[in-house]
Amino acid sequence: MSRRTFIAFVGRRLLASVGIVLVVSVLIFSLIHLAPGGAEQTIGGRFATPEQLASIRASYGLDDPLPEQYVRYLGQVVQLHLGNSLTRREPVGEAILNGLKVTAPIVLISFLLTSLLGTVLGTVAAYRRGAILDRVIGGFSIAGASVPTFATATILLYVLGVQLGWLPTAGTGEGFVDRAGHLVIPILTLAIFGTASLMKLTRARVLQVLEEDHVTFARARGLSERHVLIRSVLRNAGVQVITVVGVLLLSLVAGSILVEVTLGLDGVGSLLVDALSARDIPTVQGVTLLITVFIVAVNLVVDLLYFAIDPRLRARS
Amino acid sequence: MSATADPTTDAVAARTRTRTLPRVPPSVAVAALLLLVVVVCAVVPGLLAPDSPSQINPLEGLQPPSAAHLLGTDALGRDVLSRVIYGARSVLTGPLIVAIAVLAISTALALLSGYRGGWVDGVLGRTMDTLYALPPLIVAIVLVGVFGGGYTLAICVLIVFNIPNSFRALRAAVVERRGLPYVDAARSLGVPPRRVMLQHLLPNIVPLIVAGFFLRLTYGVVELSSLSFLGLGVPPGSADWGRMLAENRAGIFENAWAAIAPGVALVVVTVSANFVGDWLYERVEQKRRSR
Repeated sequence: MSRRTFIAFVGRRLLASVGIVLVVSVLIFSLIHLAPGGAEQTIGGRFATPEQLASIRASYGLDDPLPEQYVRYLGQVVQLHLGNSLTRREPVGEAILNGLKVTAPIVLISFLLTSLLGTVLGTVAAYRRGAILDRVIGGFSIAGASVPTFATATILLYVLGVQLGWLPTAGTGEGFVDRAGHLVIPILTLAIFGTASLMKLTRARVLQVLEEDHVTFARARGLSERHVLIRSVLRNAGVQVITVVGVLLLSLVAGSILVEVTLGLDGVGSLLVDALSARDIPTVQGVTLLITVFIVAVNLVVDLLYFAIDPRLRARS
Repeated sequence: MSATADPTTDAVAARTRTRTLPRVPPSVAVAALLLLVVVVCAVVPGLLAPDSPSQINPLEGLQPPSAAHLLGTDALGRDVLSRVIYGARSVLTGPLIVAIAVLAISTALALLSGYRGGWVDGVLGRTMDTLYALPPLIVAIVLVGVFGGGYTLAICVLIVFNIPNSFRALRAAVVERRGLPYVDAARSLGVPPRRVMLQHLLPNIVPLIVAGFFLRLTYGVVELSSLSFLGLGVPPGSADWGRMLAENRAGIFENAWAAIAPGVALVVVTVSANFVGDWLYERVEQKRRSR
């Protein structure tokens, strides 16, 4: 594929992604109007007087036509003004950045661990099909993929934190070493879940590829087993594995919300859950928008990776 | 065993037995047994629980396990074991509704999409691809959190966003069978499409649906208990494992079992359902491959 068609493809996908973000942004914008009690009640609180409500309507421009309000909202978002939190004395953007200092390491490190361990162990299990190692890996993958993360986190906390006293039991900690110690349980929890899920799929897919003719042919040609593994097996298994890796990254984000709440870490997940229970809609809008952009970006990257891996797709476009 | 056991008849008996009953691996048998226990707890909790799940005893709060309370008490002095037993009801009801609704809707859509093809398939496929990108749990947290719709809204959101996954698997199965001779035969006999789908295709994907049921159930338990853990979904005070875990976390140093027991119970249910579902699924796949 020439460079120009590739750029055209990337451009098309990018445009589609922006379109999806815009559609979802309309939904996120309308959250504040759809919330019980309407926008002014949400901002003013349950005990606001009619005069206060009227002044809120005026200062927030809530009497303007909805499309106009949406365009204004979008204009602010594009400049990264996400509004002010109703309960915290800080802008939503700042609260999110602070939360990311906790959430980003949790999600990224557990994702890296998951991708590495999941694919390697899954491939090993497929090659050792039926052996004890395969059964152990298989049992772990069924169990680990199905447990709710908040339950795993609580049990790990109890065993490693309370019973053995190896790790701190709550909060984010001070200083680098202490902070890192506080992140062990959340990362471990998410890595167990992620690795189990990815391993299962990798094993199934590698087994499938191993039965295909081109692998038999590659072996018949006398190619080394390592060559067959890398050039034929992994490359063919890669496309499906990458789809799942993308979905997995997103479920690690969902898992991080629960783990943060379970362990009392003040990341973006806790921010969202606190904002929901305090009816702090601007913060909910900000976090939801961030998650939406992340979901769309992950899907975009997955699409581009298909192209890098699968020459048939390149030939078709 | 009698001393005169004849090896040949034994061998014959063993062979016929394997032919009639599928060989169930021990892990799956244990999993099925545990699920059965949970179902019994859900149906007749009153017969098994030593105490009332909601009786508050302010003077007996956060007691460690004892003869009177085998798993101790929670902060309000309620018996943890009884609450765990009654919690089986809550943990199964919602996920059962979600699993059945998801399977019913996705089966209908998969038959339509896979058999009809054309624009129906195109529209449904596109919609499902878009929905598939959104993690059900995150969507449910935001929507239930903002609208405060409680349990009903939680279940509805989870149904909608769990359909795509199931739809994809079932649609692929329908497409694969659409080209088989028995479908062609039915069609050339002039059987109307609706009957081809319902009487010829549907019975052939039933094993896949049954296997999918247990996997759906697992996801349903994980997602609904996660919501109730966050305080969304079930009302406060209900004997729900996710809720109990959240409420009793603070007392983990006084009576850890109040938080650990519902956690372990959740692990038992999800892992068991997944073991059974996975085994059924593997069997269906094996049969398909050997054909």
